[in-house]
Amino acid sequence: MAIINQATKELQVKIVYYGPGKGGKTTNLEQVHGNVQNVQEKGKLISLATSSDRTLFFDFLPIEAMSIKGFKTKFQLYTVPGQVIYNTTRQLVLRGVDGIVFVADSQYDKMADNVESFANLEENLKALKVNLADMPYVLQYNKRDLPNAAPVEYMDFLLNNREVQVPSFAASATRCDGVFDTLNMITRILLNKFINEGTRKVA
Amino acid sequence: MLSLPQLFEEDVQCMERSMDELLRQSDATAALLIDKGGPLICERGETDEFDTTTMAALAAGSFAATEAIAGLVGESNFNSVYQQGERRSLLVSNVGPQLLLIVIFRAAHSVGAIKYFATIASKRIALQVRIAEGRNPGSVLDLVSMDLANTSVLFKKKA
Repeated sequence: MAIINQATKELQVKIVYYGPGKGGKTTNLEQVHGNVQNVQEKGKLISLATSSDRTLFFDFLPIEAMSIKGFKTKFQLYTVPGQVIYNTTRQLVLRGVDGIVFVADSQYDKMADNVESFANLEENLKALKVNLADMPYVLQYNKRDLPNAAPVEYMDFLLNNREVQVPSFAASATRCDGVFDTLNMITRILLNKFINEGTRKVA
Repeated sequence: MLSLPQLFEEDVQCMERSMDELLRQSDATAALLIDKGGPLICERGETDEFDTTTMAALAAGSFAATEAIAGLVGESNFNSVYQQGERRSLLVSNVGPQLLLIVIFRAAHSVGAIKYFATIASKRIALQVRIAEGRNPGSVLDLVSMDLANTSVLFKKKA
């Protein structure tokens, strides 16, 4: 749950990029880190990865947006390791999450991995006593530039076929297409939620 | 998911006083109070040379991972992680179910003394959290002054 410090007019929000292995979660953070402009402050991108560049624990990027009416808004972007074996680690990274970006791989042969990862997200949230329906999230259909990408409608049918559909974005993270649209949407949804419902307050 | 109760200014001031006392008694360099999810709550001491935001995120992850490992070997009494360095060492202590206290100190110092004073500070901070939990949590955050019209493009991509 987000933390706000009324004394210093500061809001801290945790966003986790979730999804199957090699889906482009880390690439999203790398592109945000490399291409963002006009931010108040951008921290280092920290990657706890294996020697073969697969995420082992998490990637972490702190980024502070320009203040909104005097409020500093600090976003902490995390990724989880996508590989199935690292489920305990994913549970740890989800602690205190405010919003989720689910990065799906658009390739036809990755659909089963997408569905499995999404089900795994729901399970891990349940373990934290959080319902997915109560958690702000958006979908990103990544790797749209690849020739074997499934139609967006098909991915919506598989991953966004619920009572309330969430925003989804076509993306090609390696080209930085759709990366900022996704980030801006989840931040907007989160800020709306905090304003409507209130959040945890410090000082 | 256990979440931190609303903390008022007096709560944070009380926590900061406990951390100042810890630094004074133990001669440690700096102390950070963080949420177990990673965000930094407050920091005291000489923190200018450290990236405290990143340190908080990594310490929360490190503590959670070590706690999970302890669970795998059947150890439920897990309260702190100590990292011994050549110049500076680090102690991360449990402060109740929601918070962690990080103490950065010169490696020449005895970790035993740091642990002793950190335990006292942790108890005081945990007590303040319980006091905060006991209050009416009804008041909500006033963020209506934030202008949502501006947030659709909170982050802009370089041209």
